Amino acid sequence: MSLVFGIYSGPTYYPTMPKTPHLTSESAACCWMPLFALRSELARRPELASHPVALVAPDTARTPRVWQVVPLARHAGVKPGMTVSQAIGLCPALKLCEPDPVHYDEQFEQLIAALAVVSPVVEPVELGRVFVGTDGLEGLYGGPEEIVEAIKRGTRKWERGTGERSSSPCSAFRVPRFAFRVGWGRGKFVSWVAATRAKPGAAVIVPVGGEAKFLASQPLAVLPLDPDTHRRLQQLGVKTLGALVALPEEAVVSQFGGPGRRLWRLAAGLVSEPVVGRVVPEPIVAALTFFTPVGERDLLAHALDKLVDRALGDPRRSGWRVQVVRVRAELEHGASWLVTATLKDPSATREHIAAPLKTQLERSPPVGAVERLVVEFTAFAPGTAELQLFAHDASAAARAGRRRALQGAAREIALRIRRPMLYHVIEVQPWSRLPERRYALIDYEP
Amino acid sequence: MNREQTRNAEVGTRNKNDRLRALNAPHRVEVELDTNSLPIGMRDEGCGMQRSVEAIGEVWRIDDEWWRMPIRRRYVEAILEGGKRVVLFEDLTTGAWWMQKPA
Repeated sequence: MSLVFGIYSGPTYYPTMPKTPHLTSESAACCWMPLFALRSELARRPELASHPVALVAPDTARTPRVWQVVPLARHAGVKPGMTVSQAIGLCPALKLCEPDPVHYDEQFEQLIAALAVVSPVVEPVELGRVFVGTDGLEGLYGGPEEIVEAIKRGTRKWERGTGERSSSPCSAFRVPRFAFRVGWGRGKFVSWVAATRAKPGAAVIVPVGGEAKFLASQPLAVLPLDPDTHRRLQQLGVKTLGALVALPEEAVVSQFGGPGRRLWRLAAGLVSEPVVGRVVPEPIVAALTFFTPVGERDLLAHALDKLVDRALGDPRRSGWRVQVVRVRAELEHGASWLVTATLKDPSATREHIAAPLKTQLERSPPVGAVERLVVEFTAFAPGTAELQLFAHDASAAARAGRRRALQGAAREIALRIRRPMLYHVIEVQPWSRLPERRYALIDYEP
Repeated sequence: MNREQTRNAEVGTRNKNDRLRALNAPHRVEVELDTNSLPIGMRDEGCGMQRSVEAIGEVWRIDDEWWRMPIRRRYVEAILEGGKRVVLFEDLTTGAWWMQKPA
């Protein structure tokens, strides 16, 4: 077995896990900065501004692929998703940047913190896209225009913090002074579409009651469509949301099923998904600094096990199961590696927590030797009563509880109906070309 | 699985030996064809439904299990009057028509 030598730092003792209720907001502002990672990279490396630059995707260590591209490189034919060798073939002067996801994540966290000053309801979606709940802010700022101004001030404060410079005439990637686009409206979908229509540094506000009119002229592509549905709608001559809404709702449902109803209602402005503020517990952190950078995967996997064990031993974790775990690695030459895993069944056992991390370590390992490895538990689920009294494995206890409840319900149904009416769906020949051979029903006997 | 068991599974009857019931089992329908052998109307005696076909979508073919009891099917995606989408197939061995995805 490999031995791990290093300096251990954390966890720190906190007596209780903080509990924060979910906050929601019907009215929403969407802040969006396309190519967030690339802009963050260029902000700290301004010498690249006049070059064709591409960022390598963070999870493609075996076959490196292009992730984000500046317009100059795009004009030379380089596109996201290409292999690096294809991209260099098209644009020999291309400057490739190794991704630094930890840096982008930190930048994004700073942006979220800046927006949290404006509103307590902030819902990050992906790098560069955040929803801000604006219900109840009228008393502080005034109408939607003033609220949007306050949000723009928050994003500008962050942009100044990144050291992003205004574009120069010779710049290949003309970074506007303020690159954020803001959309405001009722619900997340309307605000997102509004943000996509805003110019950099500007905002589009959709007044309450004006959602249908605003959405009617928008192209079909703003809807969350799968390619097949998009193709079929195009073939039907539907090119805008207004054209989709002009069709009877039931006709769309009969063609596209349940998802069709949701699309129709989104297009009609009848769906208003609230912004849900995130619960941010203090993360439990365990870190290891290696004396010499480590590249061997076995050693890294072993270190991961040790760090997960140490983080599980934190007194704050008692009575809680881990739902989201994150691993950060600081690499030689300033790059970094970041993996986040959300556990379907929150767990308090090392094997369950470490398994997705090790899978990721095998699939897309760090591109260089690791100097420092950090494990963070960032979201938690309550443990069961059994966990707190007896059980070591909270997910097993939760499963046992569910099974008991199912057994009780099945007994009651059998008593009332006197014949088995509960079935399992099981895979029979899921690979079969004949649809009726793939799945079957079997009596459910808990 | 012999032919009888296969047929039972396909029409969704219970197989007492293994207690399995096939999901998405096809059922028999009567189909009226045009000169290109494409459906222009269908009748489902099970639920008493009779509809004309308004449009034909994709057409594909499955040939399988040629090594024991060949299965040869020609699938047709059809839009019925009223806008409902169904998937029909012709058993090319027997000439019978079946509906795989119920309307």
